[in-house]
Amino acid sequence: MRINKLLLLLISLLLYQNQAYAQMERERVNPGGAISETFWAPNLIGLETTEQISAKNLNVTIMHSFGIVSNRTLQNFFGLDIGPNVRLGLDYGITDNWSIGIGRMTDRKVVDLRSKLNLFRQTKDNSVPFSMSIKGDLGITTQENNRPIKDDMNYLLSLPIANKVSDALSIQIAPMIAHFNHVSGISQTENTLYALGLGSEFRISRRYALTAEYYPVLGNRNPDTINAFALGLNIETGGHVFQLFFASSSWHTEQYIISYNDENFWAGDFRFGFNVNRIFGL
Amino acid sequence: MKRLLLTILTFCFLTSDIALSQAFKTESGNAEFKSSVPLHSFAGTSDNLVGRISLQDSTVDFYLDLATLDTGNGKRDKDMRKTLETDKYPFAEFYGKVISGFDPDSSNKQDVTVQGSFTIHDVSREVTINGTLQMRPEGLLVEADWVLNMTNYNIKPPGILFYRVEENIDIQIEALLKPQNS
Repeated sequence: MRINKLLLLLISLLLYQNQAYAQMERERVNPGGAISETFWAPNLIGLETTEQISAKNLNVTIMHSFGIVSNRTLQNFFGLDIGPNVRLGLDYGITDNWSIGIGRMTDRKVVDLRSKLNLFRQTKDNSVPFSMSIKGDLGITTQENNRPIKDDMNYLLSLPIANKVSDALSIQIAPMIAHFNHVSGISQTENTLYALGLGSEFRISRRYALTAEYYPVLGNRNPDTINAFALGLNIETGGHVFQLFFASSSWHTEQYIISYNDENFWAGDFRFGFNVNRIFGL
Repeated sequence: MKRLLLTILTFCFLTSDIALSQAFKTESGNAEFKSSVPLHSFAGTSDNLVGRISLQDSTVDFYLDLATLDTGNGKRDKDMRKTLETDKYPFAEFYGKVISGFDPDSSNKQDVTVQGSFTIHDVSREVTINGTLQMRPEGLLVEADWVLNMTNYNIKPPGILFYRVEENIDIQIEALLKPQNS
């Protein structure tokens, strides 16, 4: 009996020796880490996403929107003859989770300073089911108007919350509050507006993605304004993300989009526009 | 009979110990690749190379979690992970054997050749890689470099506008493997 036990031990040992050098089990270094690329760019069209610029990277954005396509379509060549509203912007990643930026728009010569902080990011193992950021934007109208500078200031605070549902689809909701120190009292009656920024990105391939964004205003709104809507196509070229879009609003920052849009996308009152995003490693 | 079995058992314990002492392993080896586009080149590195070499049966087993490669540019890292589809195919791995001689009693750096299967992006190919092994007091130093052709592994070199990343990339590994039973 004892001999049998010894034999068993002997066989086990020999088997152990043979198995000792089998292929190692492959283990990931960080299996539950944060998911990457919820969105391809830090902005969807005009809506800021939870996507952050990496540390020491500079994102250069050029945003254009032209005139309404249906307004004297051929004479204005689908709105392209109507002077564009252009925003030039620079955003810099201080850390992988915090960026600061500056931009300037043609309309009203608005200069905006902004910052975005990632509060948390969705993880691969879904222990954190969504990503959340907080974004602040200070807009200053620099167009001559004989008003004190404090009247030219407006603010936005938004809380983008996003979920990468699958490799193909990401969705986002961003509760936001905008405040304008000065309102005209006729076309603009509300100093403070509340809205949601709803957005989604659907990736058709590694190069192309469809995007949409919608801004329902909650509560009081400015007279004759309509919830803004936009549809876009993202093209990822490796170095750039090009965004071609049709949008009801000509504005490029959220506080203006929710305050001033008076075009109805579904009635055909939309305009063509495009954004160029280029990230440089510094 | 009992005595004979005990002798064999003791022998097995001893040889098992010797065998283990001939296996070397690391989880912090360095892997580096160098790639280029016209007028520009860049490198990606990782210190998470896992490797084991058994001198007893000459097996060589290495793998790298590709998501740990860092090129120093966050956007480029994302593009690289997308190109390599690291969520789907997380590892680059080699499993094979040393087919040349190696003298473990010498402390000189010795040229060795390994042959085996290299897998990346779910494609496996038989490869022969030349490198060096050096027995040091603290362990076994491994150095190797070879050229990987991305298209051979069904990896489409990413493009930047009209430029495309060169399809051949230089791979280099360096790792100090420590005795596995220490």
